[in-house]
Amino acid sequence: MSELKFEPKIVAFVCTYCTYAGADLAGTSRLKYAPNVRIVRLPCTGRISPMFILKALQKGADGVLVSGCHPGDCHFTHGNYHARRRWMVFRALLDFTGISPERVMFSWISAAEGSKFADLINSVTEDIRKLGPFDQYQQLIKETESPATL
Amino acid sequence: MITQERYRTTVKELLANGSIKMAIGYRLGSTPDRRRPLFIRTSEEADQLVLDSTCMTNLSGYLVTEGLLSDEKKVGIFLRPEGIRSINILAAEYQLNADQIVIFGFDSTGRDVRPLDGRNVGEFSKLLNEIKEHPLQIVKEPLHWRIEKMNAKERFDFWQEEFSRCIKCYACRQACPMCYCRRCIVDSNQPQWINTSSHTLGNFEWNIVRAFHLSGRCVQCGNCDRACPVNIPLRLINQRMANEVLDGFDHFAGLSPTQEPVLASFKKDDTETFIL
Repeated sequence: MSELKFEPKIVAFVCTYCTYAGADLAGTSRLKYAPNVRIVRLPCTGRISPMFILKALQKGADGVLVSGCHPGDCHFTHGNYHARRRWMVFRALLDFTGISPERVMFSWISAAEGSKFADLINSVTEDIRKLGPFDQYQQLIKETESPATL
Repeated sequence: MITQERYRTTVKELLANGSIKMAIGYRLGSTPDRRRPLFIRTSEEADQLVLDSTCMTNLSGYLVTEGLLSDEKKVGIFLRPEGIRSINILAAEYQLNADQIVIFGFDSTGRDVRPLDGRNVGEFSKLLNEIKEHPLQIVKEPLHWRIEKMNAKERFDFWQEEFSRCIKCYACRQACPMCYCRRCIVDSNQPQWINTSSHTLGNFEWNIVRAFHLSGRCVQCGNCDRACPVNIPLRLINQRMANEVLDGFDHFAGLSPTQEPVLASFKKDDTETFIL
C-alpha cells in the first residue's frame, strides 16, 4: 500500500491570448510541469469574475491561479488593467474574510513565456503543497452532500 | 422640531408651485424609535412628515424605482450626507439624473437635527470633501481590531460562524440603495452561482460577492446592517473595502455625480506587489 500523499488541486483561470498560448508553448516545447493544475480558458482576464475563484475553492480546489497578458499586451487593449484593479480589491477582501492570499495567485504570462509557465506551475504546486489542503469547506460540503467536482 | 416644521413648509411650497412632484421622507413607524418611508404628494401628507435623529434609513434607493423619474419631473428626498453620496454614485452610474433630485439634507448629533444647506447635489461637494478628510470610522470598533489580529484560519472561522446565521433572505440587498441590478447574481440559476438551500454552504459566497460588488460604492449608510434579521456585522466588511479603495486608489465613493466608478476604470500605473 502506498501512503496517501497530499496532491494539491490547482485551478488556473487563464486568458486565451497569452497564458493559454504560453501553456501551449510549454507543451509543444515538451517542458514538463506538475500535473496538478486544471486549466480553464477564458477570453480575457477581464472576464474572470471573483465568483469563479470562490466557486473553485468551494468545489475543492486547494489553490487558484489567475493569469493573463502582461499590462499593455491585452488583445482587447485594457481587459487586464480592469482585471488588475479588481484583483487588488478582491485580494484584500479574501484576506479580511480569512482565505489566505497565498492560495489565490495572480501572474502575467505571455504567449512566448512557455518556460515561465512551466516554472510557475511547479513553484505554485510546491507552495500549495506546503500550505496543505484547503479544508475549511470540507465539512460543509459533506453535510450538504454537494458534489465536489474536482 | 424646528427643522421638521421648516421642512414641512418647504415641501408644501415646492409641491404647491409644482417644482417637485413628490417628496420622499419619513413618518412614524410601528414603535416610537422606528420610522418608515413617507411618499408625500399632497400638503396633507406633508403634515405626517417626521424628521428627528431616529431617521436613519438611506432613502435614496427608492429613486431608482422603475418609472419614477422617467417623466423628467423633479423629486425631493430627505437625505443624510451618506444619502447624498449615494445620489452621486447613482448619477455617476447613469441610474438617475442628479438634476432631477431635490435634496432636503439633514444631519444629527445626539438628538439634535440640523438642516444642511443646498438643494442640488453640486452644492454639497464642500461638505462631502470634508467628510472624505474626516471619515466616520467604525474601525475603532473592538470587533474590527479583533479580526485584524486573527490569522487566516481564525478569520475564516469567525466569518463562517457569522455567515452561518445568514438565512439568505437578501434583506441586505433589498435595503441597499446600490443594489439595483434587475437580475441579481443570486436570482440567476444558469449557472447557479450561489447555493439556494438553507444550508450554510453558499452563505460565504453570497456575502463575499455582495461585499465585492459594493467595494468602492458603499457609503456606509448602514441600511444593510439594520436590515439584517440575524445581525451579521456587514458594515465591517463594507468599511474594510471602503478603506481599501481609499488607500489604494484615493477613491472616496460619491464625491460628485461625474466621479468614475473605481472598479470600472483603471490607471496604467496602478501599483500592485502580488502579481508574479
